[in-house]
Amino acid sequence: MKIKDGIRAGFIALGILIYLDLIGLPKTFGSSMVVTFAVIVFLFSLFSLRTKPAEAPAPLPSVLVNGLIIGVITGLGFALITFGFASLQAQDVKVTDVFAQISHENIEALTGVDKVALREGQSVVPGLTKLAGYFILAGVLGGVITQFPASKVLHIGDEEKRSSARYWLMLALPFLLFAFFLALRIEGVDIGGSEENSFGLVLIYACIAAALFAVREVKAGVHKIGFSALIVALVLVIPQLTDLKQNAILGAVMIFVIMGIGLNIVVGFAGLLDLGYVAFFAVGAYTYALISSPESYIVVNLPWFEGLNFWAGLPIAVLLGAAAGIMLGIPVLRMRGDYLAIVTLGFGEIIRLLLLNLRDYTGGPGGILEIPSPNLFGLDLGNPKGILYLGMAFAVIVTFFTIRLRDSSLGRAWVALREDEDVAEAMGINLVAIKLMAFASGAAFAALGGTLYAARQVNIFPDNFALDVSINVLSLIIIGGIGSIEGVVLGSIALIGLPEILRSVDEYRIVAFGALLVIMMILRPEGFLPSTRRARELHEADLDSPAEFEG
Amino acid sequence: MAAILRTLNVTKRFGGLVAVDDFSFEIEEGSISSIIGPNGAGKTTFFNCITGFYTPEEGLIEFKGKQIQALRTDQVTKMGITRTYQNIRLFANMTALENILVGMHSRLKTWWPEAVIGNKRFRDEEKNALAKAQELLEFVNLKGLGDQLARNLPYGAQRRVEIARALASEPDLLLLDEPTAGMNTQESAELTDFIRNLRDESGITVLLIEHDMRVVMGISEKITVLDYGSKIAEGKPKEIQNNPKVIEAYLGRGAASGLEFSAA
Repeated sequence: MKIKDGIRAGFIALGILIYLDLIGLPKTFGSSMVVTFAVIVFLFSLFSLRTKPAEAPAPLPSVLVNGLIIGVITGLGFALITFGFASLQAQDVKVTDVFAQISHENIEALTGVDKVALREGQSVVPGLTKLAGYFILAGVLGGVITQFPASKVLHIGDEEKRSSARYWLMLALPFLLFAFFLALRIEGVDIGGSEENSFGLVLIYACIAAALFAVREVKAGVHKIGFSALIVALVLVIPQLTDLKQNAILGAVMIFVIMGIGLNIVVGFAGLLDLGYVAFFAVGAYTYALISSPESYIVVNLPWFEGLNFWAGLPIAVLLGAAAGIMLGIPVLRMRGDYLAIVTLGFGEIIRLLLLNLRDYTGGPGGILEIPSPNLFGLDLGNPKGILYLGMAFAVIVTFFTIRLRDSSLGRAWVALREDEDVAEAMGINLVAIKLMAFASGAAFAALGGTLYAARQVNIFPDNFALDVSINVLSLIIIGGIGSIEGVVLGSIALIGLPEILRSVDEYRIVAFGALLVIMMILRPEGFLPSTRRARELHEADLDSPAEFEG
Repeated sequence: MAAILRTLNVTKRFGGLVAVDDFSFEIEEGSISSIIGPNGAGKTTFFNCITGFYTPEEGLIEFKGKQIQALRTDQVTKMGITRTYQNIRLFANMTALENILVGMHSRLKTWWPEAVIGNKRFRDEEKNALAKAQELLEFVNLKGLGDQLARNLPYGAQRRVEIARALASEPDLLLLDEPTAGMNTQESAELTDFIRNLRDESGITVLLIEHDMRVVMGISEKITVLDYGSKIAEGKPKEIQNNPKVIEAYLGRGAASGLEFSAA
């Protein structure tokens, strides 16, 4: 471990902290970000100083020096920059003109000096000294931790048998996070120091993500079933504890989970790149709107027809969605790769333009209003909590359906199609049938998501069905891990959920997506929770597979 | 014995190039036959015509008494013809076992809704399919390698997985496109024995394209020679070996006359 490595790691960590600062995390989350930043420094120090499981740990002095370097670079660097911003603000220079997120709240979160005090000349140095102290401490601590063998269980990508420490950590983490979240709900406890309880939502996300990872870690058998049942119970409890806004966001996440699982069949299993997926989402939403809303063309013009309720409209919307999938599928049967992507892209736009221009039927840009919300046995589900439960139920059904198909001969045929179309046909696979099946089931799920979306939004407009929905769904399955269903959930949280909390940093959302995608593709091209097949495709070649040299 | 496959005046053109020219031939049920010929003679194109990957412009292809020249590849496979490829074309990112299971596709009868409900018929069929795939894997001497990704298997093993995959569809006619390409003498000899055993035990008719003359002469009961898309000779290995037209096609006119001379 050379000093150069420590300096390098320190500057990378500093860069990340400054990025997070500039996109406004301190402003959103308040003083808790000082601790969070320190944790980032700690993790950085730990991960850059630890050695591979098989190797001996680096000698203590060198680790201490490097940890100190990381701490000092991040601590001093970050403190200096914040000091600069604070002194500019103290002189009434409007920093926000250039750095929109560096407001007084930012300085207050980081130093504890509020706007008025700053103007009056109160020094930010004590606050910044504390901050730098935290960072240095975190850096050194990260280094010290590498001396313990247990730190090695965190070694990402080691193919050794999972040690029991990692196993238990994964199991305990979701429950710890959940307990932490519960603690937040107790009156008078203020851990986050944030507005709108965004911090609680972040905790929920982390809790769900940890649970997804944990479900993977648990070995098959009784333990797995028991643990999964606990997770399910936990997930069922969450909507009761979260507030209105949090439920609304989680509901949006669920709609994207449903769509992600559908697109995953088309792109992940069958390898048919579909960039116009939003079309089916739109078909579902508009079908349900047209046959249910009292304002819609059909209901207005058919005197005897009073509009269907949610449960009657849902199957019709889903069936029409599947039909639309087949309609798109037939002309593109002979197309592959890039050509397919372009045609589907066009299809998505055509649908949106039709919605926009068939004014008489779809209401044009004015959309369709007053779409009835679902209810169940007289229980109104037209609130965020109801929609969230409904979304979860649909996601479970869709997941079940997908897993069953994946593990059947149809699922294998899809993968074969992705691998080599000609040979797949030579194996007796009817390409037309399985391609249409992939398009139809993907489209049906999107239409299901669309119906739920229409019921949730009450009013829908063509603008809700623009290209960015397709891109989002595609990105979330890439981030989560192509071909993996847990990955879709995680991807939805990351791509749909997180930006929702970071509304205040909205303008940086796309930048953050871009950065995240680039980093992902470099570090973990298979996604966060890849399907086992996908992970092997991308990584098995790196390992020395014994079979390679046999026979 | 009756002819299992018969072609009549099959012609396949690519623009001005006549890849297969007025080709008629037949193979007997349960026989091992070979098609040989110099590079570019149209052998693989002919295979592609049989399997429905290409549709011949003219001529008839008859399999078990039914015309198949207009069928799609998957329909031909369902009728009982499967093939392997000159350059191995396994599903590289699927395991050996999954490859074989895909090969079985045309023999699996359950419909997808059965898979969704997971009824007994579906579960039984999957269980049997898996057992049979394991059996096939064992049959090609790859027991225990079923979970390896196809692309990580050694070359020879990939060849054998490809054959197992082809056998999984329970074919009556197996088309092997240069099965011993890239193998050393010992490996080719093993494969030759394997093909012969296969025929003897299961009665599958085998049609080979092969360049290795040792293999061709050792295994074939009938050899057909193609040159520039047309048949120039047909007969037992001995007859082909001494056929001046064949020697000419392979080695050129001068060499042919020289060989004839030395043979005499």
